[in-house]
Amino acid sequence: MIFNEIYSMLAYYLPPKANLIASALATFVLILIVLIATPIILGWVDRKFSARIQSRYGPIYVGKFGLLQNFADVIKLMGKNFVTNQYVDRFSYNLIPILSSALSFLLIALLPFGAPSLTFISLPYNLLFIYILLAFSPLLIIIASWGENNKFAVLGGFRSAAQITTYELALIVTFISIGIVNGSYDIINVIGSQSLIWNIIYLPLTAVVFFIGSIAVIERAPFDLPESSQELQAGWRIEYSGLKYGLFMIGDYVKLLAVSILFVSLFLGGWSGAFLPGIIWFWIKTVVALMFLMSLRWSLGRPRIDQLLSIGWKWLLPLSVINLIIVEVMMLI
Amino acid sequence: MNDFTDKLLKAFLNGLKASDGGTIELTDKKKLLKVVERVRKNFDILFMLTVVDRPPNFELNYVFSKYEGRDILILRTLIKHEESIDSITNLFPSADWEEREAYDLFGIKFDGHPNLKRILLPEDWPGHPLRKDFVVTDEIKNWTGLDLKF
Amino acid sequence: MEGRGIELNIGPVHPATHGVLKLVADIEGDTVKNAKVEIGFLHRGKEKIAELRYFNSYFPIVDKLDYVGALNWEILWASTVEKAMNLEINDRVKYIRAVMAEIQRIMSHLVYIGSFGQDLGNLTFFIWALRERELLMDIVEEISGGRLAPMYNRVGGVFYDFTDGIADKINTALSKIEEKVKKEYRAMTYENSLFIMRSKGIGIMGQKVIKENGVTGPNMRASGIKRDLRKDEPYLVYDKVDFEIITENDSDVYARFMVRVREILESIKIIRQLLKDMPKGDAKISAPWIMKVPAGYTLVRHEMSKGEGAMFLVTDGGLKPYRLKIRSPSFYSLQALPLVLEGCKVADAFVITASMDPVMGEVDR
Repeated sequence: MIFNEIYSMLAYYLPPKANLIASALATFVLILIVLIATPIILGWVDRKFSARIQSRYGPIYVGKFGLLQNFADVIKLMGKNFVTNQYVDRFSYNLIPILSSALSFLLIALLPFGAPSLTFISLPYNLLFIYILLAFSPLLIIIASWGENNKFAVLGGFRSAAQITTYELALIVTFISIGIVNGSYDIINVIGSQSLIWNIIYLPLTAVVFFIGSIAVIERAPFDLPESSQELQAGWRIEYSGLKYGLFMIGDYVKLLAVSILFVSLFLGGWSGAFLPGIIWFWIKTVVALMFLMSLRWSLGRPRIDQLLSIGWKWLLPLSVINLIIVEVMMLI
Repeated sequence: MNDFTDKLLKAFLNGLKASDGGTIELTDKKKLLKVVERVRKNFDILFMLTVVDRPPNFELNYVFSKYEGRDILILRTLIKHEESIDSITNLFPSADWEEREAYDLFGIKFDGHPNLKRILLPEDWPGHPLRKDFVVTDEIKNWTGLDLKF
Repeated sequence: MEGRGIELNIGPVHPATHGVLKLVADIEGDTVKNAKVEIGFLHRGKEKIAELRYFNSYFPIVDKLDYVGALNWEILWASTVEKAMNLEINDRVKYIRAVMAEIQRIMSHLVYIGSFGQDLGNLTFFIWALRERELLMDIVEEISGGRLAPMYNRVGGVFYDFTDGIADKINTALSKIEEKVKKEYRAMTYENSLFIMRSKGIGIMGQKVIKENGVTGPNMRASGIKRDLRKDEPYLVYDKVDFEIITENDSDVYARFMVRVREILESIKIIRQLLKDMPKGDAKISAPWIMKVPAGYTLVRHEMSKGEGAMFLVTDGGLKPYRLKIRSPSFYSLQALPLVLEGCKVADAFVITASMDPVMGEVDR
């Protein structure tokens, strides 16, 4: 754990009690930095990448290559007034951004960042806890959309909750299959047991199901129907503006990073690989997965909500169950 | 087209009259529906309806067209400024919005139209602009549109 | 959300509707029970303005009718006044006008397919379609000096002749567009399974609805009716070029999209033939600037990029028109829209409206 590393580094300079407080503070600051750096860096990559796909430049004025563009945007968002509609339900309206950022905070704290010692919190049931955090969204979304007192928000919120609930079923079956094959629900052990053969060779169907299901759970295009700005004007986020909207955006990018790291850790072997140190392999694979996930948004249209739900129920859930059965049979053999 | 026009003229001897350029003039506006029923047999849609303000009359030019070939038929009729005329929406449903536009911009009432409301101008706008005697009054200058329920 | 339905105002200011169009939809669950269309938010009184301006001064007004394909309306207005004056225009002017009309048709269809892809969530495609349109915009700007509202025609001719070497530039641009339409657009849209899933079988507008409501143009041709004013009532030089009328049989949203994609390829064929056969000569304007037009009634109709457009001009022998009536094809497509929207899903309502290709400039005038 990162806490342990910092503790042992500062043990030369500080007595034990002061060391405890100092390392705790340092870890906290580090999490905050990672939390804020994720949307800034990922946001820049998203904007430049999508711009080049669309034959245009993207941000080029603010800083060299537009690198400071997202800093400028965050500062602008923080300086806006909190304009609130007079008809919203104040409690739920203000509660949900806070809860949603707490969720992203926890998500960053649980992920491995390239080496077994580089996690903020290490739990033996890492995988399941991450699943709960990702799948907690429908409750928050329903509260938010109901509290906003707006027809468009309610329509979007209900669609969103339906979509996430459908796809998280497929996801839990996927995680169970991983647990059975690798014998543990701790991501670090899962990566450790892939040092010879990557999971994607044993579980190709599960990999596909996980990929599609996770894109639907984080509500990224092509599955972003609930917040489709073409039809329902940002769906259930319609009444949020300024910093509260910024908090939701941070949550979006953190979840995107989480899903890419999960895919790499569970199926592509994490930090195992020849010649180069593990951490470099890890980040190369994560970057490739991230770019692929990002490019899906800019190249595909959107299916309609009932087509979306029917894909989830008719295809993904049965496929993942079939894979689970195959895995069980394989384990017996 | 010409022999259709001839047959039409023969069938309605004291209601129709041939005019220049192949157009037909309807001199008795009560026969409009019967004439249009005959026209329906050969033409598919009302292509456009042009209202010309020649004070003290309105001159309505119905242009009919069909989906094969290049034939058109122009039917012209005169009504006085305060008169109303039958609506042909039962026979040609494509006349629906055209007649609403004529009501909106000129003030002509069509009897039997299912939904005669203003279409291009707001619902509480005073006056009918395309008439030749239209003057921009103070009421129009002070119209704000804030009284409309949206 | 069960029991009574909701009434949803898909109001005039909305990123999905094309221009200022208001739909009032009665929704129950996820289905639209019925919809009402309200127009008139862009009414500028162009028909009244016609009675106040000289014939040649009316061209800037006509440009803003269909603002994505403006030259088609300019050519129609110039042809109407020329027919009223019994004026002959020479062959080179006719060829120039036909080339510009077809270029504007391609531009209008590119905007359509771009914004249609955007309505399905594919933002990239919108920018790609506009990127192709930029190639043609540069050509229009080089010929006439204006990008969106060229004001290029005058009664009796065109304002500038074609510059030297413009034919090669047009051919290069057309080859690029043809290659993109046949390769990239195919992968993004018409052979992309997400696109097909969203557009096949939706928004069926049968021949009965079309014939009752006066719908013309690509919407009509997508239901199998083989009619095109360029072949059935040839104007300019369309009787001297060889092209086909594109029809599809399914009458759904996908068919309306495919008709326009294939019409782009047909227009490219037409322009290439016209450029090869263009006669030499000069494009002098053969009428004075302010002219008297003899009294009478004139009706001219042309095939606009959205259907059959017409102008009915009533003159009284003076220097200004007495009455001008403009018939726009999108007016009739919107009249048929409530019948097509009955019973569809909410998400499809936007897709169907977009597939009818309304441009509010010409609906509201």
